[in-house]
Amino acid sequence: MEQFHSEVISCRESARDYYELIFTWKGPVPLPGQFLTLRCWEGDSPLLRRPFALSSYDAAERRASLIFQKRGPATSLMTHLKTGDHMDILGPLGGTFPPPETGRRPVITGGGIGTGPVLFLADALSRAGLRPLLVLGFRDKNFVPRVHLPLGCETVICTDDGSAGQEGTVIDYLRSRDDLAGSHFYGCGPNPMLKGLHELAVEQNAPCSVSVEEVMACGIGACQGCAIPVNLPRKFLRVCQDGPVFDSRILVWT
Amino acid sequence: MDLTVTIGSGTLPNPVGVASGTFGFGEEYGRLIDLSRLGAVYAKALTLEHRPGNDTPRMVETPSGMLNSIGLANPGWERFRVEKAPFLRDMACPAVLNIGGKKESDYLELVEKCEELDCHWGYEINISCPNVKAGGLAFGTDTHQVESLTKKLRPLTKKPLIMKLTPNVTDIGEIAKAAEAGGADAVSAINTLKGMVIDTKKRRPVIPAGTAGLSGAAVRPVGVACVYRIAQCVSLPIIGLGGIFTADHAIQYLLAGASAVQVGTALFVDPRIPLQVLEGIEAYMDANGFTSLKDFHGHF
Repeated sequence: MEQFHSEVISCRESARDYYELIFTWKGPVPLPGQFLTLRCWEGDSPLLRRPFALSSYDAAERRASLIFQKRGPATSLMTHLKTGDHMDILGPLGGTFPPPETGRRPVITGGGIGTGPVLFLADALSRAGLRPLLVLGFRDKNFVPRVHLPLGCETVICTDDGSAGQEGTVIDYLRSRDDLAGSHFYGCGPNPMLKGLHELAVEQNAPCSVSVEEVMACGIGACQGCAIPVNLPRKFLRVCQDGPVFDSRILVWT
Repeated sequence: MDLTVTIGSGTLPNPVGVASGTFGFGEEYGRLIDLSRLGAVYAKALTLEHRPGNDTPRMVETPSGMLNSIGLANPGWERFRVEKAPFLRDMACPAVLNIGGKKESDYLELVEKCEELDCHWGYEINISCPNVKAGGLAFGTDTHQVESLTKKLRPLTKKPLIMKLTPNVTDIGEIAKAAEAGGADAVSAINTLKGMVIDTKKRRPVIPAGTAGLSGAAVRPVGVACVYRIAQCVSLPIIGLGGIFTADHAIQYLLAGASAVQVGTALFVDPRIPLQVLEGIEAYMDANGFTSLKDFHGHF
């Protein structure tokens, strides 16, 4: 990890209240699943740096991207970012998605704000010739991001109301497929989706790697603020340092 | 220009340290900033036993600050000794161990055990954590217990002994007097203020424990006032903390009577802030013809 200065290349609304931010990257090469923390405002309100998972990295151009949702004061400020604006970045942080277990096909699911990191993963695995199944879920067609989808994947869009792609949730769709035995499941998105993915993986005795979100302070493992409960003797792990990608079987699903 | 700070039997190279609980045991931030330039690392609170910490979520941002309820999560003495102490021993700045406990004997036993190690410069005794059910704040709000605990700790070590005080009392000056009477070498103030944020949709506190500790810019005027009050009551060195984000904030604490400062929550904004604060203090001293930190005292 490094702390470095970055310039905004572009920031545009890619779906309703969802923005794609592309920026210069001077730090070590980031991998799918990793995140950064950033600050692009002065003063003490909002206070803390904000964490975001990376959604792509272009090694030739030394640029990276992330997708964020306009949700609170910090992300509202970020929607006004313009080309050339300055950001203070700390990254890459945290661990990566593990490679699929040998012989298993990657089945990658994302929903809402969890779309970014799974696009990065799907792109990396398709470049490795693994032809992932990528299933992305959204509330309705207005929330489907207009972003570059990775080539070399079997990509399926689902919307809750059927206004784009398949009608129903990501989990509904996966359960409608009868060819997913031998998968390695990956997910990032709302908790109900991750829980459904975990249950499906358990039924199929398949590995399942999920990326989770938690409020963070330091982002580097020092403060223990982003702990989540786990089924291990130590009871809690840190999302920032021990995650953000976890084997779904160690997480506590409620 | 003399930037050193003398506390009891020890001397810190400069007045700017990093606050316990925000810096782990030094390793993580050691990858980002030059630890050799820090006056001290006040390590994460250590207890005899491993503590997994409080239920989640453990933090929430508040206006110009944050609430935390970590619950003194730490690996406990045995794992500390093996996994954390070697890094502190080899670290290029003084390490101060922050000692927590549920009852008096926990503090005494842990300091005795730590005396076997050579990883640290001194002790900061945590009698002010608002986020644990037993110990912590319960000690720090009672003058008799503060004096008694300090008195019993004093003969156990020749190293500097710092009592960390809570602002959640009627008069922090009285607590500081008790620490002085017990034989402390210094006091640090302030630990976090008790606060609460309620989720109005769920109709319950955001932090499961209910109340939590408030830190950040929002608490700075409280911290400065506490240090000023303590300075009126005791002749011990005071280590000021609470909402220091810039050199100007640190200078406020020094002018109020502090001899050293700690940067905490500001690390979560920018890890370079402690070193910027130090540079700013030096520049202020240079511009005003100050030759030592004592020159900050006695102006009002």
